[in-house]
Amino acid sequence: MSDFRLWHYDGASAVRRNVLLRTAGTGFVLEEPESGWTGLPIDWSDLTVIGLQDDRSAYGHKAIPGWRLGFSGEAPPDIAAHLPTGERYGRWIDRFGLWPAAGIFTVAAALIVWGALEAPAVIAPLVPQSWENRMGDAMVGDFGGRFCHTPAGDAALERLAARIDPGHEARDISLANIPMVNAVTLPGGRIILFDGLVQQAKSADEVAGVLGHELGHVRHRDTMTGLIRQLGLSVVLGGAGGNAGNYLNGVLSLSYGRGAESAADGVAIDQMRGAGISPAATAAFFDRIGGKDEGTEARAISWLSSHPLSAERRRRFAAAVEPETSYRPALDQAQWQALRASCASDPKVAKFWGKPF
Amino acid sequence: MDQERIGGDGFAFEGNWRDYAPIAFTNLLLTIVTLGIYRFWATTRTRRYLWANTRFIDDRLEWTGTGKELFLGFLMVLALIGLPFLFLQFGAQALVLQGHGGMAAILTLAAFVTIFYMVGLARFRALRYRLSRTWWHGIRGGSDDQGFGYGISYMWKSAVGSLALGLLVPWSMMSLWNERWNKMSFGPHSFESAGDHGPTFRRFLLFYLLPILLFVGGGAMVAMAGFPGQDGAGSRMAGAIFGIIAFVLTFYLGLGLIALAFYASFFREAVEGLSLTGLDFHFYARTKDWIWLFLGDIALVLCTIGIGSIFLQYRHWKFFVTHMGVTGTIYTDELTQSQTKTSRHGEGLLDALDVGAF
Repeated sequence: MSDFRLWHYDGASAVRRNVLLRTAGTGFVLEEPESGWTGLPIDWSDLTVIGLQDDRSAYGHKAIPGWRLGFSGEAPPDIAAHLPTGERYGRWIDRFGLWPAAGIFTVAAALIVWGALEAPAVIAPLVPQSWENRMGDAMVGDFGGRFCHTPAGDAALERLAARIDPGHEARDISLANIPMVNAVTLPGGRIILFDGLVQQAKSADEVAGVLGHELGHVRHRDTMTGLIRQLGLSVVLGGAGGNAGNYLNGVLSLSYGRGAESAADGVAIDQMRGAGISPAATAAFFDRIGGKDEGTEARAISWLSSHPLSAERRRRFAAAVEPETSYRPALDQAQWQALRASCASDPKVAKFWGKPF
Repeated sequence: MDQERIGGDGFAFEGNWRDYAPIAFTNLLLTIVTLGIYRFWATTRTRRYLWANTRFIDDRLEWTGTGKELFLGFLMVLALIGLPFLFLQFGAQALVLQGHGGMAAILTLAAFVTIFYMVGLARFRALRYRLSRTWWHGIRGGSDDQGFGYGISYMWKSAVGSLALGLLVPWSMMSLWNERWNKMSFGPHSFESAGDHGPTFRRFLLFYLLPILLFVGGGAMVAMAGFPGQDGAGSRMAGAIFGIIAFVLTFYLGLGLIALAFYASFFREAVEGLSLTGLDFHFYARTKDWIWLFLGDIALVLCTIGIGSIFLQYRHWKFFVTHMGVTGTIYTDELTQSQTKTSRHGEGLLDALDVGAF
């Protein structure tokens, strides 16, 4: 037995003991010569690491809370051989080493982020349409009484819907008394045109283009994809203080990505071609709200912020105009005026600012 | 030898930032590549270093908390509180959209009250968790109280504190501090906390005086700046603008400084009232020390484009320990093991909501 001194707490009281270690069987016994104190036999395999730093080492016992054994400097080889080694970064990381583990985590993190961005497009079509419908209905309800209804206006909107959406892919198309140049597609195939957009448009053809675009989002279930993506990201990034945010604003600002927008434009052009409506006005509309007269009109053009406007998109609509086709306006003049007047002349409609969302 | 008499300085911090740097930088790296999940283990590594380099009287502290228990606590909070709130939020939006504004308001109010309660509960349990994972001489701290009652106290005392134009805030803060610490123990001994809010009150009153002083002083300054400038409206204008800028700066800086001065005083008084059997605790940091701490923080973060923030926890702990003091006598043979309960797999639900514990 060497005279190597260790310090010891037995976990029952705070009295510090200055002990010698005597090996015995598969373990050891601690003895304090000055007081004649002797500890219980301890098995080497019960030791755990409490802390290893510089020249200070401290060990604990698996089953006795507060039991501690420690020393300064190097332990004699016959003791050191039995001591457990400590964790450094955590058990999994120690197994691989810091840099390999960091590499593995980086790859895994990249896969998770990529998955969170890509998976929704795969999952969305698997969500039963009936669930999505119920969800959209629960969300919208009567939109706080903000939907505009006049007999003539409703007829005009129905006429416009019948031409752009003859297959009734959208479950509902409505006009809301909100002075923003915007149109949204909500879950459950519901399209809402905002009155601001109708007022801003110079003709029914322009509204038809926007409606066709939103119909594209309905057909491809982009809203569901966006919702799942948002939910997925908030869960993945939940560690970074996940905040689900304002739901409505979330839906309004859902951006579906370049690919989805382009596909929706394709649907708009197809539907307009099928209905014999000229895409020229839509191109002009993009031109007008997107560009030159910056700062003149009310700049609350939200449709733009969620639908980044590129010259390319405008050109695509312009190029879809077929010179030899004879186009018919989306609505006749009377219908168009009825649609534009719908919100202003509906006495029952709730004001946008009337109550909080 | 079982008795320790302690002079003024029972606490000392014996680490240095060069030893801590490898921990801080690898923590940062691993936290980034795991999308933040490693931060529970990072916290544990940091605390283990900080505690192990903190000497209390004759021996160092030990931190035995684990990253896994923090992580599990986080998952439990996410499942039991995060998800219901997510649904509540979506539900409230849907209700508003459908015109049931009143119902939504009630739901939102209920959510607010619940969160308010949880903050108090979490604060209590964070302190309890930290004490139960802090060891010295093989003995740990803890509490047998679950903190549910404290959550209620937190609600009504905070509410009362904000009555009378907030004049009762020092009372509510100190009273909550005392209530929290009186339920904690180390080994077999209970902490006794009898902090007095009275001495902190003068500084708190400055909050009320400063705006008045500033309005009077600022008004005078603007008037003075305008008065001699008879040579033109331009210089009078410049004087007024200068006056307004100086006023706004003084206002915010002044309020910040007063808040700091109040907090310095509050923390001194609070720790001064704290004792554990024969030991009396002290805290020596003056307002000036707190100002240097924060100026140092700002300089550290700015000069390193933010990376220095990984050393903030280290700096704050060092500040806390170096200004802590303890006097009195402790008998190590009477300091026996704590019999307080700790949950089998680490901790209860809210220990993970690790809000500032002290």
